[in-house]
Amino acid sequence: MKIDVDHITMIYPSGKKALQDISLHAESPNFIGVLGPNGAGKTTLMKLLIAGLLPTKGEILLNEMPLLSQEKYLKSQLGYLPQSFGLYDELTVWQFLDYMAALKNIKDPGAITEVLERTNMTGQKKTRIRSLSGGQRQRVGIAQALLGNPQLIILDEPTVGLDPEERVKFRNIFSEMAQDKIVLLSTHIVEDVQAVCNRVLVIHDGLILFDGTPSRLIAQTEQHVGIYHAQLGDAVPDGCQIVSKVHTADGIRSRIVAEHLPPYAQPCEPTLEDAYLYCIHRPQNRIDPREEPAAK
Amino acid sequence: MKRILFSFYRVELKRLLSSRNVITAAILSMLSLPLGNLLYEHSSRVMSARYIMTPVLTGTTVGAVVWAVVMIMESDRLQRSGVHILTDAVAPPASLSAARTLALLTISMIVTALTALVYLPYTAARMSYLFSPGFYFANFAVFMLPTWWISILLADALYQITRRVEGSVILYIAIAGVSVSGIASSDYFMRWINPFVITYSDGFPSIWPLRIGLYTRVIWICIALAFWLISMLCVRRYQRGLVFSFRKNVRKLYILAPAAVSAAAAVCLWHFQPFIDHGPEYFDYKPEIVLEIDDANRISSILYSIELDPASGTLSAKAEYDIQVPYRGEALLYLNPGYRITSMSYDGEAVPFRTVDSDINGQRPTYFELPEQLCNKTLVIEYSGFPTQGKCWSSSMVMDTIDRDYITLSTCAIVPMLENYYTGVDKAAIAEITIPDNLTPFLNHARMTQYVDNGDGTKTWTERCPKYLSDLTAGYYTIDTFNIGELEVDFAYGTAYEETVRENDIQQAIIDILTYCSDHYGELFSADDGHLLLRQESSMFMGGYAVTGVSTWFETILTPDTLRDTDKGASATEVFIHEMIHQWWGGLGLSCTNEELWSPEGLTVYSTYRLVKEKYGALYAQQYYVDAWKKSVDGQNRSFYNRHPEYLALLPELYQSQIASANRGINRYQRMPLMILKAEELVGGEEQMDEILRRMYADQDQYENGFGFEDFLRYCNLTEEDLNLE
Repeated sequence: MKIDVDHITMIYPSGKKALQDISLHAESPNFIGVLGPNGAGKTTLMKLLIAGLLPTKGEILLNEMPLLSQEKYLKSQLGYLPQSFGLYDELTVWQFLDYMAALKNIKDPGAITEVLERTNMTGQKKTRIRSLSGGQRQRVGIAQALLGNPQLIILDEPTVGLDPEERVKFRNIFSEMAQDKIVLLSTHIVEDVQAVCNRVLVIHDGLILFDGTPSRLIAQTEQHVGIYHAQLGDAVPDGCQIVSKVHTADGIRSRIVAEHLPPYAQPCEPTLEDAYLYCIHRPQNRIDPREEPAAK
Repeated sequence: MKRILFSFYRVELKRLLSSRNVITAAILSMLSLPLGNLLYEHSSRVMSARYIMTPVLTGTTVGAVVWAVVMIMESDRLQRSGVHILTDAVAPPASLSAARTLALLTISMIVTALTALVYLPYTAARMSYLFSPGFYFANFAVFMLPTWWISILLADALYQITRRVEGSVILYIAIAGVSVSGIASSDYFMRWINPFVITYSDGFPSIWPLRIGLYTRVIWICIALAFWLISMLCVRRYQRGLVFSFRKNVRKLYILAPAAVSAAAAVCLWHFQPFIDHGPEYFDYKPEIVLEIDDANRISSILYSIELDPASGTLSAKAEYDIQVPYRGEALLYLNPGYRITSMSYDGEAVPFRTVDSDINGQRPTYFELPEQLCNKTLVIEYSGFPTQGKCWSSSMVMDTIDRDYITLSTCAIVPMLENYYTGVDKAAIAEITIPDNLTPFLNHARMTQYVDNGDGTKTWTERCPKYLSDLTAGYYTIDTFNIGELEVDFAYGTAYEETVRENDIQQAIIDILTYCSDHYGELFSADDGHLLLRQESSMFMGGYAVTGVSTWFETILTPDTLRDTDKGASATEVFIHEMIHQWWGGLGLSCTNEELWSPEGLTVYSTYRLVKEKYGALYAQQYYVDAWKKSVDGQNRSFYNRHPEYLALLPELYQSQIASANRGINRYQRMPLMILKAEELVGGEEQMDEILRRMYADQDQYENGFGFEDFLRYCNLTEEDLNLE
């Protein structure tokens, strides 16, 4: 599967500009982590990719054909987990997955059994959805997205509500699935992206600020991450973003990112989280993906 | 595509079957049926009307509303709960919506079947020997299920268009409001949610109400389907609004084409409906065209050959007129508007004719011209078709229908009303009528006696008759013949009532009534050569009537409910008495004058009161007759428009006509009996009044032009002022 997003701009009828002239290319296998603050345009991008929205400008191609002409094919190959969604409370887990399987034209009941096992919901398959906990509902959401071995998986905040162990388990499942597919994972948990994604997109204010490998994003943050000790009440140095603060006996050990570290700050090894923060606070650092082909 | 839709349908059906909304709707719909008989406790004494029609129609309307609400709720729930975010991503929203609607239509069908089965034992037990399972289930299939479907389709369409619950509900109420409002009060076609049915008959089951019911349901299903298909084009796409989505979807020819076909079918079915003519809504009392009839334009003999096909409800016939001298100029005939003249020839040559689409009182005129020089030749008119009802009476009775179990045809629904010609003799015509062999026919109100068994399940009955035929009725009749003195009485009633007649000794009751009236007013003149036919009339025909030798009476007199009802005065039995008394006063040729105050009804109602007084006592008669008359007359006097007729003229014609009709009824049935009662008081009492009435009845032959109000006053030696009630 191949997806090309070509100079897409998305302006909602309300006038809100969600995406501005963005382009990207993805071919399977590809596990893309999408990072960005709230309102950056991540969800809009995902909705565009599932043909849930029409772009104001630009075009999306699926296997080099316009997405809208491939809608039927797209739906048959899509596994989608939105950020927020509803379920039919009166149905059991199995009935709901059977319902979704029918919509996906999946006839093999084994597909339901498989996703139930993968999402660790086999024990609850006869439980009515209204009786499930928040985490279990999220797992049902993931299960329906994975139904039928879709070639394009779009996951918007899939691990919300899951405990840390489950989160790790699921990100590994996603990673396994991405071996021959395109998986797009939107999340606020940078650690998840770092752990499983071979490519990261950083979106901010409707622009793609970065499109490349996590290591490259980290690499460009070298010399822009430092640690210094401050006292209570000290102001944050100009141009710096606090990544973390740890109260110690010597005062507050602060981890910062900045274009120019203050002289008293000790440079240190950047993480993906540092790199992400550095990226979104330096929009001028946007990297044109055409100049830097996306990693696979 | 079909497989995917079926797959969606399957899971939606499973899902909806476990939905609380749907289960609640099913229970409410099923429970609503008895509501009908609570609301209309004594709406009808016909058992099939009371135990089938009323509950089914109530369930139809209540269920339609309930299912519409469920449809809207289920559609909205998808949006509100956010499930659509998942489903829209993997399935076309329009297909899923269509599958959901189809699933709900299926569930409503299951609930209809369950409802019918649940009420079956009760209904069968209440109706006893009058219960017909086929008719029972047909009602659910014709009225309830299609109406629920129409409602579901309309509700879903409204939701798909508005995407708002409140918007859909308001629009649904508006559409349903037209059906339940006065605008459509007696309009078979406008009433989609509350189908209009006059009543049913137990003894003479007619499927006419089911025929028109099914027809109107088909029209509304076409309308709803077209609307629903159009609404599928409004299913929102790409999170955009109505106009954008519609523009995106409108190229879907596989939706547009069936929508257009469905809409066109609805328009055609409505416009070309074969049930009601296009005449005025109220009986047109305007004098008909005065035709110039020359003595020379005489018909020497007529042969009517009529075949009725109950399966299709149609008639095909030939009328052959031996014309002595053709009418000079364009002659006129009237036929039922549902019939088409297939050929007209004179002396073997085709005669050009033109039928004018100006229906009036259930008749449609056709003009033709015969070559005046060709005398003593035969005019042959062949015609056929499905009889329509005159619009002016279609809301109150079924005058013309050809069913498997019951046939009733009036005037020009039997033979052409050929104007400009006269026969000169009483019974110049011979009618040959072919009908199913199990039906007993009555022509011009009288029993037909001569027939030939065709051996194919039909009989051809032959009768001498006048040029115009006023009535043909056939049904399952049992005829008991007995004598009262020298009078031979044929008592004809529905075979279904045999048990009732036997158990209640109705025959003896008839003897009592005839004896009483003969004693008080004299021997019955209308008994034709000492013969009288008392025939039960279908409840679908309004009221009874009397003509020479014949008195018809209302079916409900013999229904079990009527006979069980002991706490209501002026019972149906008294209506029976009333109709019997028409034998005395109906034949008097009373002329209608004084704004139709003076008619056979006044004397008949008064005499009924007298008989009831003797039979049940003065208190009973005072309460249910005199007091009831006074109440009606007081109401009429207090009416604003009667006190200020100058304002009546300002009302639309429809209302003027309704008020005039109500006044006419009160004048005949309440004011006139009160005036006769006052006359009774003034002439010295009941005995004196009986004597006057006896003289009037004896002298009736002297009044060729009808017995007028002035004649009555003269017999009583009173003036009109004496009888003033004010």
